Amino acid sequence: MSGYNKIINQSGTGAEKKTKGHWWMTVAPLYGFTILFVALPILYLIILSFLTRAQTWGVVNQFTLENYARIVKPVYLNTFKESFQLAILTTITTLLVGYPFGYFMARLPRKQKSFMMLLVVIPFWTSALMRMYGWIIIFRSNGILDKILMGLKITEKPLKLLYSYPAVLVGMIYSLLPFMILSVYSSTDKMDWSLVEAARDLGATRLKAFLTVTVKMTLPGILSGIVLVFIPSMGLFFIADILGGGKVMLVGNLIQNQLQSGRDWPFAAALSVVLMIFTSIMIWLYRKLSGVKDLEGLL
Amino acid sequence: MKKGRIRCSAIYQAVLLALMYLPIVVVVVYSFHASKSTIRWQGWSLDWYRKLAGNRGLLEALKNSLILAGLSSGAAGVIGTLGAVGMARVNWKSKGAVEYISTLPIMIPEIILGMVFMAFFAAMGLPFGMVTLVLGHTSFCIPYVFMMVKSSLVGLDKSLGEAAKDLGASEVRVFFDITLPLIMPAVLSGMLLAFAMSLDDVVISIFVTGARTNTLPIRIYTQLKSGVTPEINALCTIMLAVTFVIVGLSRMLGKKAPARG
Amino acid sequence: MRKTWKRSAALAAAVVVLSTGIAGCGGNETSKAPETGVAESQEEKGTAQGSPEENPSGGGELNIYTWAEYVPQSVIDRFEEETGVRVNYTNFEANEEMLAKLETSGGGDYDIIIASDYIIKLAADEGLVKEIDLEKVPNYGNIDPIFQGFFYDPDNAMTVPYGPGIPLLVYDPAMVECEITGYESLWDPSLEDSVALMDSERVVMGMALKTMGESFNTEELDVIRAAGDKLMELAPNVRVLSQNQTQDYLLSGEVNAAFLFTSQVVLALAENPDLEVVYPEEGLGFGVDAAFIPVNAPNSDNAHAFLNFILDGEIGAEVSQQTYYLCPNKAAYEFLPEEFQKSLVISTEDIPNGEFIQDVGAEATALHEEIWTEFKAKLD
Repeated sequence: MSGYNKIINQSGTGAEKKTKGHWWMTVAPLYGFTILFVALPILYLIILSFLTRAQTWGVVNQFTLENYARIVKPVYLNTFKESFQLAILTTITTLLVGYPFGYFMARLPRKQKSFMMLLVVIPFWTSALMRMYGWIIIFRSNGILDKILMGLKITEKPLKLLYSYPAVLVGMIYSLLPFMILSVYSSTDKMDWSLVEAARDLGATRLKAFLTVTVKMTLPGILSGIVLVFIPSMGLFFIADILGGGKVMLVGNLIQNQLQSGRDWPFAAALSVVLMIFTSIMIWLYRKLSGVKDLEGLL
Repeated sequence: MKKGRIRCSAIYQAVLLALMYLPIVVVVVYSFHASKSTIRWQGWSLDWYRKLAGNRGLLEALKNSLILAGLSSGAAGVIGTLGAVGMARVNWKSKGAVEYISTLPIMIPEIILGMVFMAFFAAMGLPFGMVTLVLGHTSFCIPYVFMMVKSSLVGLDKSLGEAAKDLGASEVRVFFDITLPLIMPAVLSGMLLAFAMSLDDVVISIFVTGARTNTLPIRIYTQLKSGVTPEINALCTIMLAVTFVIVGLSRMLGKKAPARG
Repeated sequence: MRKTWKRSAALAAAVVVLSTGIAGCGGNETSKAPETGVAESQEEKGTAQGSPEENPSGGGELNIYTWAEYVPQSVIDRFEEETGVRVNYTNFEANEEMLAKLETSGGGDYDIIIASDYIIKLAADEGLVKEIDLEKVPNYGNIDPIFQGFFYDPDNAMTVPYGPGIPLLVYDPAMVECEITGYESLWDPSLEDSVALMDSERVVMGMALKTMGESFNTEELDVIRAAGDKLMELAPNVRVLSQNQTQDYLLSGEVNAAFLFTSQVVLALAENPDLEVVYPEEGLGFGVDAAFIPVNAPNSDNAHAFLNFILDGEIGAEVSQQTYYLCPNKAAYEFLPEEFQKSLVISTEDIPNGEFIQDVGAEATALHEEIWTEFKAKLD
């Protein structure tokens, strides 16, 4: 806490305090909450990852590096690799599908924008589990889709569409699409369209104007969308369990298994720390690419 | 030409929205199904709505979930928005670190985060219940608001704020009259997503809830032994209907307002 | 521009506020919460002072902790009606979550927990299970002794069996070409991509172990490894791993053979009586979900009253009819409808042959996990 005060004092006596004033008050809640309810619990998580599992139940306070050593076993590295592949695939597809949607949404007449925003989010207010069961009823063998296709004589035998890697991918995309749509939308919405027009006036083709001006200006939205899609797709275990028929093992599933049937909390913690470091690299790239330096002087 | 393009985008949006709502249509239809099994269609019935009305536990869980989602997305909205705007203004060395740490809750799988929260709240002596639930949920709601707002702040037209200040507006006025309206789409997007995430979180809730507060997702996801009952379908249908009525009403009211003004 | 956003802000806020508002109308529990808190702490004092004569019908609370819908709402409602006790019913997904929570609260917070056999053993070893005061549970004698004396409670002092079951193989004879007699049959190449198993490493590994004539609970790492190798050969046949509503896969034709929990077997046969049920020749598994009282239960008297309540014949019959597990309550047999007794495929004579899946210690568990991860990587 004293460090925190020191920081405030420093900023108060800093050289360029022209625009500072009382700005510390706006970040104080974030600082306080983050330090108390995020940093401290995560510190505990890191400590836990160096402890030893008890023989039957619980944790023994005995330092070990064994948990991290176990992660490099091929079987667990493979799980990380597969999760990463799926997350990348999910992110790219979500971007390709979601960007146009968010972009078109921002070009809607004003009155329809907020309505559209709600239309996009409302499906996600119903339980994800129920939505997954909805998909299963449609796509399973002899399900609604099969009956339609076989009724139209397009297929003869029931398809086996579910419980596979592609089914998990589609489920991921479906579940994470709104993050991309809304990210793209919120950065496209306040875009200065006159710049696109200027580029067009200067002779740029529509495509070129889009690539050079629009994409560049919506880059922060694209990046936050990528982060918001990529990160959860590493850990969404229930989609793998339900649409993947329990056959796809992602890092999220692995951690869940270690915590439940494995009863190995320290190993689960170590897996989480590694996952955290891994996704942090993504966040770092995001921060690198979408710096907020040029915001000074807005107010 | 231009008309053609707009029609194309409208079709694209309509198709995507239809896909998003497709599984929900199934949920709604099966809430009127006469049987618990979904294998063969066995006729229509309102039985599940009747059972739902008598299921006090389920309704209480719904109530807790809505309160929880409202409180935590609201708290995240305030903390996240102020934080993102403020972070763009201050030059502290620690800000990068704090910003990074604040996004950690969505990077760690819920199950381990839930367990760590449980141990941490117990160590702090906080009794498990709504308070611990709100704290836990707020932690993973903040990143959604923060990141949305932050990305919308990039490239904001600075001259607006400066012009206003030259005209003598106070910083607080400038924030509420100029900055906030400009970033409002982002704030709302973030809060709506946070609301959705909180409304469907089960794993963290299981660990940090107390003996008296069950939430709807906990109730739905833990029906391992009995299989999910269509009462849940009925509940989802009612929630959807209520949401649409509210949205529809406010849209009707909203349409009238500018006509008057 | 600004106006639009103010309006949509108001709109979104309206949705949130109204939905919470509607929830608020569901009952005034929020405002009542402090009162019940007080009532509860008074109750706590009452039991602490040790007044055994205290009548549980005096009201108070009862905190039940188990899976959702596992105790039928009708049973809870009736208990509340008869005793005036307010029941708080909260849920966990995995047994381990329950034990972690119970340990964190020092064996307090909850009054009745219904969980699986092996976790009760761990909880008892941690000293978190209270001995049942048999004087307060006159119906204790209604328990069928065949469901008692198991490893987690050898002296019948701490638990009341709630949902016992034997997992069985079920297949669709119209779709299966080979003869299914036991776990070994699932390895038959004709079953390619058409078997549903439980998404549980110990159960599936247990099947492999049984085909080798070993126990579910062997701690010999070499034996477990050998079973793991055998399991890998099963991968091409596995269509789905699932814990929940697995019978649906069989009924919809997604799979042709499945390894199901008792409740799922009952539900599958109810929907399609032509399915064949197989008692695996290599040996049966067995599991019991039982109710116990945590050592520091805040409302211990109400907890005893509840145990007594579910051991009543009529109530016990209602529980079994809605959970579809075996009925461990002798007094309930006469209340069970005939067609229900018939649909219960397992006779109690099979019980002593079943083997429990128990904790096997750190090393063996870690090995099981590793094999399971490898197995899943082979599946997709």
